[in-house]
Amino acid sequence: MIKGNRFYGLVAIAAACLGSPAFAQDKDPGCIVLKSVAEIEQTVVNAKGEKTTKLVPASTALPGVEVIWTVTANNICKVPSEKVTINNAVPEHMTYVANSAMGPGTDITYSLDGKTFGTAEQLTVKADGAQRQARADEYRHIRWVFKNSLQPGAQAFARFRAVLN
Amino acid sequence: MQSSKFLGAASALVMALGFVPNNVHAAGAPAGTVINSTADVSYTVGTVATTANSNLVTVTVIEVIDVNVTAQTANVTVNPGDTTQVSTYWVDNIGNSAETFLLTLNNAVTSDQFDPIAATPAIYLDSGGGAATAGIYDSSDIVYVPGSNDPALAADARAVVFVVNDIPGNALDGQLGISRLSATSRTGTDVPGTPFPNGGNGINGVVDAVIGVSTGTDSGDTTYLIAGVSVTAAKTQAVVDTWGGSRPVPGARINYSIAVNTTGTGTATNVVFTDNIPPNTTYVPGSLALDAVAVTDAVDLPDDGDYVAASGPTPARIRVPLGSLNTAAGTKTVTFSVVIN
Repeated sequence: MIKGNRFYGLVAIAAACLGSPAFAQDKDPGCIVLKSVAEIEQTVVNAKGEKTTKLVPASTALPGVEVIWTVTANNICKVPSEKVTINNAVPEHMTYVANSAMGPGTDITYSLDGKTFGTAEQLTVKADGAQRQARADEYRHIRWVFKNSLQPGAQAFARFRAVLN
Repeated sequence: MQSSKFLGAASALVMALGFVPNNVHAAGAPAGTVINSTADVSYTVGTVATTANSNLVTVTVIEVIDVNVTAQTANVTVNPGDTTQVSTYWVDNIGNSAETFLLTLNNAVTSDQFDPIAATPAIYLDSGGGAATAGIYDSSDIVYVPGSNDPALAADARAVVFVVNDIPGNALDGQLGISRLSATSRTGTDVPGTPFPNGGNGINGVVDAVIGVSTGTDSGDTTYLIAGVSVTAAKTQAVVDTWGGSRPVPGARINYSIAVNTTGTGTATNVVFTDNIPPNTTYVPGSLALDAVAVTDAVDLPDDGDYVAASGPTPARIRVPLGSLNTAAGTKTVTFSVVIN
């Protein structure tokens, strides 16, 4: 247990490059260590006077601001992990930004209730007695299914954006 | 806990960069709300299926200080010397936390032609109370005293404010006078995005406050338009004697024509034209007409005109209600005839 914790802390530093101390972890993290971070896009002017954007970790946010949620999965075992699936709920008080979910090598589906997942075309809601396609701002859950196995030492990546209401 | 300390430092960086959201919502998520997010993963190693959770990520909603002031009747027509002109304003806290606002009145706006005269006192807070008086200026409303009863508004709450002005007697027809009510955050004002670390009015010391798009202050204008109006009557007469001439002898008929004209930008309401029947003459029954259309002599409705017989010291007269008159209405012509006794 103790050993696992310490190891996990190291991974967190490496994965996020935040220099953050270890996270409290109650159980053995297993083969995949999952890390979530909330960031905000900042426009900065570089030495050449050019405007560039960078992501800054955010523990606070203003209403109307777009928060970028990034989930990384690191395989810390010596064997591949198969059927890797990441789930992330759109946080409370936030609205999913259409077409913002991305993840290399993943199939992305959405859900309104956390139970039924489907592509944008498959999700419908009942409105005025008729079924219509769900709007992106109605998605409450996002799922990334990785097509390939996650090799030892490899890192998988999933991201979406949501606006603080 | 340690991780949140780190993220706190990161947020200071965010604020230092002066981030300004371009679409701050009215209110939105309440300031201080802690938004939690945890991702989970499922996978198999060999034949063993496993799940794991990510760390918990929290994002705390910052306080946005924003206010909106709107005059409920932006344009009001008045006459010079009018008193106790009451303007209603809405002061809306469109931030996401409680905030207190200072109210100020500025009648010396330079982009107008006259300055409305603020009554003493000039600003009142709607007492609300029962639905019957809510939003209506009445004696139960409360005199506003800056610093004493500044409106303290919860997120999305509204204060109804009344401003009382008089109109200077020397204002001229067509002139504009602006009366401007401003509401200013007691926390402060600045360019949008300016942070007040651990500031704000609703949750002091808990979360940062940031000035929103309104810059922490807003104002609303009531524009008074002097809409003076003057109604004049020009009377002409033509004498027709019984021989076809124009000698004013007994039995001769005098045809009177009165042109009623309106000048100015305003509207005169409830205009009534009356004219006494001259001494030693007798009204010719049925001769009364308005714009060449005969009106009956009887005091009746909806007929526009009456002949009123003499009563005691009051001489006989004709009376023609003309209603509302403005320049667009053009000239109204009243005609009647008398016979010389």
